[in-house]
Amino acid sequence: MKEKEIKKIVREGYANIVQKKNSCCGPVRPCCEGATPAENISKNIGYTEEELKSVPEGANLGLGCGNPIALASLQKGETVLDLGSGAGFDCFLAANKVGKNGKVIGVDMTSEMIEKARENAEKGNYKNVEFRLGEIENIPAADNSIDVVISNCVINLSPNKAKVFKETFRVLKLGGRLMVSDIVLLKELPEFIKKSVEAYVGCISGAIMKEKYLEAIKEAGFQNVNIIDETSYPIELLSNDLTAKAVIKKAGIASEELKAIGNTVVSIKVEGKKQEIKQNIFIKFQ
Amino acid sequence: MKKDLVNILCCPTCKGDLKLKVEKEESGEIILGSFTCEKCKCTYSIEDGIPDLLPK
Repeated sequence: MKEKEIKKIVREGYANIVQKKNSCCGPVRPCCEGATPAENISKNIGYTEEELKSVPEGANLGLGCGNPIALASLQKGETVLDLGSGAGFDCFLAANKVGKNGKVIGVDMTSEMIEKARENAEKGNYKNVEFRLGEIENIPAADNSIDVVISNCVINLSPNKAKVFKETFRVLKLGGRLMVSDIVLLKELPEFIKKSVEAYVGCISGAIMKEKYLEAIKEAGFQNVNIIDETSYPIELLSNDLTAKAVIKKAGIASEELKAIGNTVVSIKVEGKKQEIKQNIFIKFQ
Repeated sequence: MKKDLVNILCCPTCKGDLKLKVEKEESGEIILGSFTCEKCKCTYSIEDGIPDLLPK
């Protein structure tokens, strides 16, 4: 698929999710009766009940792989940028953390998502959150303007991940940090899944190998690149009907085969730092 | 969108500075207007308070 085509498919896929309240990429366990499917997904990926209750209804579409560690690290007064902000869930949690002197900016390329997010901001009376329609490969933020870039299960959808990380590096201030959560692979996916549109929208076939992902972050200039957390992501538990069911149906594959594929998909939380340039030159005279 | 956030925005295409034109403002919020890139001259609209900064 070409870059433009991928963006169009992703945009349309997620516009559809807003309208139908479908969900993507999150393991579902048959627990927590009474909660909405999105809330169940979010609890399973590490958000607390208080966090889920603190945001406007409808802000949580259950689309993330979870980024609570990044949110926990936010300080009062920081400027935060959320790449692929969706209906605004992580932005609102971040806004509570950075307080009234901080700012949170959400960027998403799906106008339906941005509209939903803005409605939610009004509902929740958030004054320190703003949303922009934009692409994460062409971030509409000035150089050295952001303290923390967060992103939750979105960069896998980008056809040009290297550019996303380069842009992230550019907009961060010196000493700023990247804290993302995403889906990566431990083994290459079979061709039929790679080519599946449904699997792309459902965060699977756009995912790249873990090493390549980390390499792209380092190549963009980040230092101290660490995986903070890694969780296996069984494909048969993916909540997204769009993905799992459509892939199974289209490819006509047995569930054993599907399990084997599932073991190759993991959810990681990664951090990286835009270091201040310190030129420590040690000359040793002998 | 708020006016004070303009200085952390830039042109998504060429990263030039954006010049803001306000057409409608309500209690410090820009509801309608546009941005023009001072470098590449691309324009970006602001409708219902949301800047459309998709690359042109």
